[in-house]
Amino acid sequence: MQFAQIRDRVPAADGPLDLSAFPGTWVNSNPETSGIARLQVAEEGGRLTLRVYAIGPEGLIDWGTVGAKPFTATPSTRAGTGFTCSYDFGFAETELQAMLLKGLMVLAQQHRFKDASGRMDYFVREYFALSHGRY
Amino acid sequence: MAQLTEFKQTGDLHPALGDPATRTLNVGKLTGRWVNTDPATDGVVEVTIAQEGEHFSVGVVGVGSDGPVNWPTARGRVMANLEEEAGQRAVALAADFDFGFMRVESYLRVNKGVLVIVAYYTFLDESNRSDYVNREFFYRAG
Repeated sequence: MQFAQIRDRVPAADGPLDLSAFPGTWVNSNPETSGIARLQVAEEGGRLTLRVYAIGPEGLIDWGTVGAKPFTATPSTRAGTGFTCSYDFGFAETELQAMLLKGLMVLAQQHRFKDASGRMDYFVREYFALSHGRY
Repeated sequence: MAQLTEFKQTGDLHPALGDPATRTLNVGKLTGRWVNTDPATDGVVEVTIAQEGEHFSVGVVGVGSDGPVNWPTARGRVMANLEEEAGQRAVALAADFDFGFMRVESYLRVNKGVLVIVAYYTFLDESNRSDYVNREFFYRAG
């Protein structure tokens, strides 16, 4: 078995991925955000999809739905604790990288501009909580 | 400069993104040799970030079974970090590593003097190991 760090020298993981932590509507903890307002995450047949609603000057901007790639916490476990996905807007690309920590989604965003605007690519992290309606 | 008309969120119109000074702000906070805060880590031992003109290189050493494992050097893509560090604008890096049997996508940033690396590991072999995400912390080596 090949590895680049000893953590990865582990037996194969068994069973399907557990994606139960992801589905639902995740709301930004910062009501003053100028970025993503909320995410809708869905799971069907072992596949994750994500739909983003971002803040625009005249209301929310629907980025549409894309597939998301799930990640676990270790190479030998099967519970999903993160995901990545990407959007291509033509003038820019955005890569989203999520990690779940005690019910909190930490969402890193890499924004790369492909136009001639001269804007610098930028990075931002935002925090999201799952709307669970229990309290 | 072209007019800033296209955006998919208002954050795309942040004035700092069009300011040339943003590209050079606080890059010194990232460069140097960094050592894992966990002496018992079974992952990355140390990271070296160097600036070469407008580019950054990221060197990583992993823990191996018979000694350190040098990862292939990656080019760091610099981004303005719109989170403020002690009231100052900072930069972050994205770096990808390709081992053939595994791909690592990571982002690196400094928070209060600690280098934080979040890495997403994807196995491309037939080992059936789970793709996983991991976060590690590093202090600047003297």
